[in-house]
Amino acid sequence: MLAMKSDIASKGDYLIIEDEKSKRKMIVQIYDEEYLSSQSLIEDIVKDEVVTASSVENLHDPLNIGNISKIIRDARVFRVKIRASIDLSGKLSSDVTWLPSRVYSNVRRLSIPELDMFIERKGVFPIAIGKARGDDQDFELYAEDLDGRLNIITGKKESGKSHLSKILVKTLVQHGAFVIVFDLNNEYGGLAWNSDGSPSSVHEQIMVLEPGYGLKFSLSYCGKSAMYNMLKNALDMPSASLREFFRIWDYLEKKQTLEVEAFGNAINTWNINELVRDALISRYHVIQSSRLFSNSQDGQGIKFEDVISKEHKGAAIIISMGKSTPIARRMIVELVLSKLIDLLEKMVIPPIFLFAEEAHLYVRDTYWEDIITRMRHFGIYTTFITNQPDAIGDGIYRQVDNIFLFNFTNDTDLDKISKVSLADNETIRSIVRTLPQRYCLSIGKVVCDLPIVVKTAPAEVLTLGETKKFFA
Amino acid sequence: MATQLNQPDGINFNEFERAFNQSLGHCLSSHLQELLKGKKIIFNSEDKNLVPVDGWGIRNIPYCTTPLTTIQPRMDNTTICAIDSSTIQLAETEDGTLYGVKSGVVLSIGAQALIHFKIGPILLYLSEETIGHSQLDHRLAKLILIDSEFAKRLIRIRVERVIQMELSNNFSKSVILIDGSLKSSLFEEKNQSIKNVAENCILKQNSMIGISKSSKLRIIDRVCTPLSKIQGPAYMDVNLIIKSLVRNTVGDNLIAKFGNHNSPILRVDVVSGNSDKDEALGKLLGNDSIACGYPETLRLAHHVSTFSSTETSCLRGHVLTNYDVMELASKDIRKTLLGSITV
Repeated sequence: MLAMKSDIASKGDYLIIEDEKSKRKMIVQIYDEEYLSSQSLIEDIVKDEVVTASSVENLHDPLNIGNISKIIRDARVFRVKIRASIDLSGKLSSDVTWLPSRVYSNVRRLSIPELDMFIERKGVFPIAIGKARGDDQDFELYAEDLDGRLNIITGKKESGKSHLSKILVKTLVQHGAFVIVFDLNNEYGGLAWNSDGSPSSVHEQIMVLEPGYGLKFSLSYCGKSAMYNMLKNALDMPSASLREFFRIWDYLEKKQTLEVEAFGNAINTWNINELVRDALISRYHVIQSSRLFSNSQDGQGIKFEDVISKEHKGAAIIISMGKSTPIARRMIVELVLSKLIDLLEKMVIPPIFLFAEEAHLYVRDTYWEDIITRMRHFGIYTTFITNQPDAIGDGIYRQVDNIFLFNFTNDTDLDKISKVSLADNETIRSIVRTLPQRYCLSIGKVVCDLPIVVKTAPAEVLTLGETKKFFA
Repeated sequence: MATQLNQPDGINFNEFERAFNQSLGHCLSSHLQELLKGKKIIFNSEDKNLVPVDGWGIRNIPYCTTPLTTIQPRMDNTTICAIDSSTIQLAETEDGTLYGVKSGVVLSIGAQALIHFKIGPILLYLSEETIGHSQLDHRLAKLILIDSEFAKRLIRIRVERVIQMELSNNFSKSVILIDGSLKSSLFEEKNQSIKNVAENCILKQNSMIGISKSSKLRIIDRVCTPLSKIQGPAYMDVNLIIKSLVRNTVGDNLIAKFGNHNSPILRVDVVSGNSDKDEALGKLLGNDSIACGYPETLRLAHHVSTFSSTETSCLRGHVLTNYDVMELASKDIRKTLLGSITV
C-alpha cells in the first residue's frame, strides 16, 4: 500500500480498507515499511544531492513542482497482510478471497478498540498490560485467555520480558488467582512493594520462599512420588539405588523416623552393595546441602494447600532460586511440580498459574514436554519466560496458546521463533526485529489470533534483581 | 511453400537492379570492397555521438594549416556564469502540445561553484492560438506546430536568450558560458538575439563562450588531429572553415581542448570584449574547474537544467489536478502495428 509522509502508521498497525463500490471492508496489518523506490528515483536523489552539495541552491519554481517531487521521494510502501474481512452485514469474516478496488477504496487506521469490537474480544477479568502502539487507550488482555493456556514470553535480554510477567502475576493475584513463580533472579519479591517503597496493593498476597528460609518440605509431605521424580530427573539416580532408597524410606516410615538425618544414618548402616551405598551417600549430601528438607517429621515445612486455603483472595508464591545451585534449582522445580500435580489430582487445591522465569536454565530435558502436555489437564497453566527460544523444544511450542514476543535481532532466534510461532514468518521477522524496548508483539488466543504490538506499562512495583555493578 | 505461391509474371527483379545502379550505383554493396578498403571505421549507435578515441589520425588536409595556440590559465577571480536549459514534450491535446522547460544558471568564482539557480519547470502550451501571438513567421509557426523538435528548440532558444540578456546586462568582466555554438537562429526574438547578447557582452567587457559537445560538421573531426596530439589545453582557429559552411555565426570559431592529452576536442565560439580570445579562454581555464576536459560550471548547469523522471511525473500530476483535463488512454501505435518484438 502506498503512503505519503503525512500518513502516520507503523509496523503492526491495523488498517481498514473500505471498498465504496462493493461496500465490503478488509482488515489488513502492516508488517513492513520501505521507501517507494525505483532506479530513476534513486538516480534523481543522487543527482540532486550532488548538485546541492556543489553550491547553494536558489529556486524559481512557479508550479511548486520541487515540493511535489520531494513528497514523492518520501513516499513509502507499506507491506500488509490480510487478516480478515467484514461482510455486508458488518460481521467479521475469514473470507479474504477478494481484493478491494484500488480506485474506489478508502483506507484508514483501525484503532485497537475498534478492532476489539469487530473481533468481539471481551472478558470479565481484564489485565491492563500497557497501550497498543499508536493508541492512547489502555490495552487489556483478559485473564480468561490465560486460564488453561500455555504462554511464552520471550525476547532478548533487557527487552522487558520480566516486566510484562510481573504485570501478569500482579493482576492475576488481584483477580484472586493463585500463582507460583520460579524466580531465578530474586526479583519478583518486589511485587509486594510499590516503586516508592510503600506496600503494594497485593502486599499481603505475596509470599517469598527461599531454600532454607520458608521453602522447606518434610519428607512425609513430599511423599514417595515427588521424591522419586526428584531423585530420578534432577539427581539422575540409577534404578538400583532408587530401589534401595525407597527400602530405607519404608523402613524409616515404619519406625516413624522419616527425616533427612535418619536417612544419612540408615544409608551408612544398611546392608547394600558398596557402589549403591556410594551413590546414595552422594545424593544424600546433595539433598542435605540443598536445605530443602526439614529435619522433623511433625509436618514442619511448607504446605501449599495450607497457604492457598489461608489466602482466599489469591496469592503469589515466589520461589526465589537466585542463590541456589543448578542442581538445587532442578530439585526445587521437580519437587514443587510433582507436589502440585499430586495436590491437583486429589483436588485439594484450585488450578494454579505457574511462571517459570529464565526457563532455559532448567527446561532442557524432554520430561518437561510430557509434563506440559498433561499440565493443563492437572490444572497448571504455565508461562515460560526466556531469552533463549531455542532452549524450549518444538514439542512445547506446539502446545503454546499465547506468545509475547519482545525484540530479537539475532537471526537464529528469529528463525526459531518464526518457525514455531502462531503467526506467519514475515510478520514475526519484520516486526520483532524492529521492536523498541518494552514493546511486544502479542500473538495467540489473548488477541484472538490477530497479532498486536503493545507497549507495556511502566513499572509500578519495586524493581529488584538488577545487576550488581562495581562502578555504580 | 515458395512453389505453392503464384508469383506475378510481370515483375522483373533484374530491372530493379539496373534502376538502382543508375541512381546510386557507386554506393551499392558491389562496390563496397574497393570503396572501404583500408579505411578507419567506427560503428554508430543511435542517439549517441561517437568519436574515435585518438582522432581520425593524421591526414594531409590541404586547408588545415592553422597553427595551434596553447591556452595559458589566468587566475584573476573572474566570475564564470554558465547557462543551460532543457525542454520536454509533456502532453498533447487535440489542438496543441504542452511543453515543459527548465533552466539552470551556475555562478563560480575561483574554480568553486558558489550558487546555482534552478528556473522552472515552467509549462508552455503551443497551439495555433498561442503561437499567433509570437513574432514568428507564419510558415515557421506552422512548422513548429507540426514538428515537436522544432518547438522544443524554439522554447529552449527563447528561454536561454532571456537569461543570457539578463546576465550580460548585469555582469561585467565575466565569462558567460553557453551550451552550444553561438549562432543566430530563426527562433530568436528580434531584440533578444545572440547578436544582442554579444553586443551587451562587448559593452560590459564580458566574454561569451559557446561550447559544443558535438558538431555536425564532419570537417571539424578531420582538422582536429593536431589538437589531439598535443599535451595540455590549446585551440585552433577554424573561422575560415566554419564561416564558409555556416552563416550567422557570432564571434571567433575555434576548436579547443581544455584538458590534458586525452581530453575531448570541442567546438568553441568566443565573443570577447577586446577581441582577445586567448584572454577569454585563459580566464575560463584559470577560474573554472575543468574535469574531463569540460568546464565544471557548465556541467553543473546541465545537471541543474535537466528534467528528472520524478519531475516529469510531478508535472503530469500537476496538470491532471490543476487544469481540469481528462486523461485519455493512449497506445504506442508502432507497437500495435509491428507487434511486441523490439523494432
